[in-house]
Amino acid sequence: MINHTHANETDCKVVTIPSVIFFTIAVVSLSENVLVVVAVIRNRNLHSPMYCFICSLALFNTISSLSKTWESIMLVFIDMGHLNMRGESVRKVDDVTDSLLCMSFIGTIFSFLAIAVDRYVTIFHALRYHNIMTMRRALIMLATIWSFSGLSGIIMVVFFHTAVIMTCFITLFLVSLILILFLYVHMFLLARHHARKITALPGGATHQRSDLRAALTLTILFGVFIACWSPFFLHLLIIMVCPQNPYCECYRSLFQVHLVFLMSHGVIDPAIYAFRSAELRRTFRKMFFCCDSRSDVWK
Amino acid sequence: KRRYQLSDPSGAAHYVWEYEYYDDDEPVSFEGLRAHRYSIVIGFWVGLAVFVIFMFFVLTLLTKTGSPHQENPDPYEKAHRHTSCAVDISNPQDLENLACSRPRLDESRSLIHCFLQEEQQAGAGLGSGKANTGNECNLRDCSGFLLQEAQKGQRSMQDASVLTHFDIPNFVNLENSFTLGDDDLLLCEPPITLDSKSHTYSNHHINS
Repeated sequence: MINHTHANETDCKVVTIPSVIFFTIAVVSLSENVLVVVAVIRNRNLHSPMYCFICSLALFNTISSLSKTWESIMLVFIDMGHLNMRGESVRKVDDVTDSLLCMSFIGTIFSFLAIAVDRYVTIFHALRYHNIMTMRRALIMLATIWSFSGLSGIIMVVFFHTAVIMTCFITLFLVSLILILFLYVHMFLLARHHARKITALPGGATHQRSDLRAALTLTILFGVFIACWSPFFLHLLIIMVCPQNPYCECYRSLFQVHLVFLMSHGVIDPAIYAFRSAELRRTFRKMFFCCDSRSDVWK
Repeated sequence: KRRYQLSDPSGAAHYVWEYEYYDDDEPVSFEGLRAHRYSIVIGFWVGLAVFVIFMFFVLTLLTKTGSPHQENPDPYEKAHRHTSCAVDISNPQDLENLACSRPRLDESRSLIHCFLQEEQQAGAGLGSGKANTGNECNLRDCSGFLLQEAQKGQRSMQDASVLTHFDIPNFVNLENSFTLGDDDLLLCEPPITLDSKSHTYSNHHINS
């Protein structure tokens, strides 16, 4: 009945992901997000609050991919023996990368929230949108998000061992999640309602397909967010709550897998938020065709 | 990647609590586990999948039940059957545009409350055909008001000067046809579809 092996103490070995995978994901995420940032900066039509928030999201993803790349490189060097893991300078650099990662995680969550709020204002206060969401207010929001994220990143790394900070972080994540869910579902309901109104006109047909697509869209948006972010946060919770429990230990052994999930969100993000915009896609095409035509000229 | 050591005040026991995953000084005993070792992992992912699927079904259910009063057309609706929406339904088959439409609602709170109440009714009633007489506005008033406002909006939209006065947020979709992904409410900018002749007006606004 009780089946335990006679072997070692820890049955759940730590699952290690090769650095190559981290590196690949980080590079892909970096290229996508840098592309988004460049496109938003270059196209004047995209200088609106909505694209500012998307650009900020892309910037945070860029920072996280950069710091993860740097960390992977450092790990490779440590494995090869060139660097001493316990050395003081290595620890300091490690601290810096950790705080950059924390900063980008917090910033990403707040950017999602900002995008959701912006869309909410668009739907529910359509005519007054320009008065409510001016560029100045958007920039103030962004400045607040960035400074808060930076500060939180530093605090989190310095005071990582205190339970209070971790509880705050996890609570922040949960509150943001619930808020984002509420905003999107409310928007979804209103959109469905108006679609139904319009299809109730004589001559209009109920289009079940569009309803299903919107539901699928929302599910994907949310599902990806939760699937990528929750494992990591559950890990943090488990560290605080049950460090000695064997079940918790087995969960904690999958830390690198959860980190892969978190990183892959930086790859999926642009596909969900930025690339769905026609204007942005047009800008990309212009950028690439511009390069292509230039290369033709040189031939 | 760092460890933090808490020592018992009495000095009797050393409690090493660390989350360093490169080495493990303090082995956790795996004796006498009743459930599978990875039960938290499995439980977490199963719970997540169930939640996401549940959310999807709730959303599709909401779209299916929707408004239960469609069999009772309003006189307003009959009168303004072709023009009354802020959406230029140039492509009637592609009603996915509607997901992105932002009808020209009056900003009065009563209308929003009206719709929200109606939404709650539609969601809670799940197909019951009676109008809720207890509320101050019922479905007919809501839809009539909406269509009236929308028609006003439609008429005024064709006036160039009014366009600039309205100060449209600049994610107006200039494309005639909606490509994949543009028509989703939540993943793109929700556009106001304009007729092709008003493209120049909106272009002017964007570039100004």
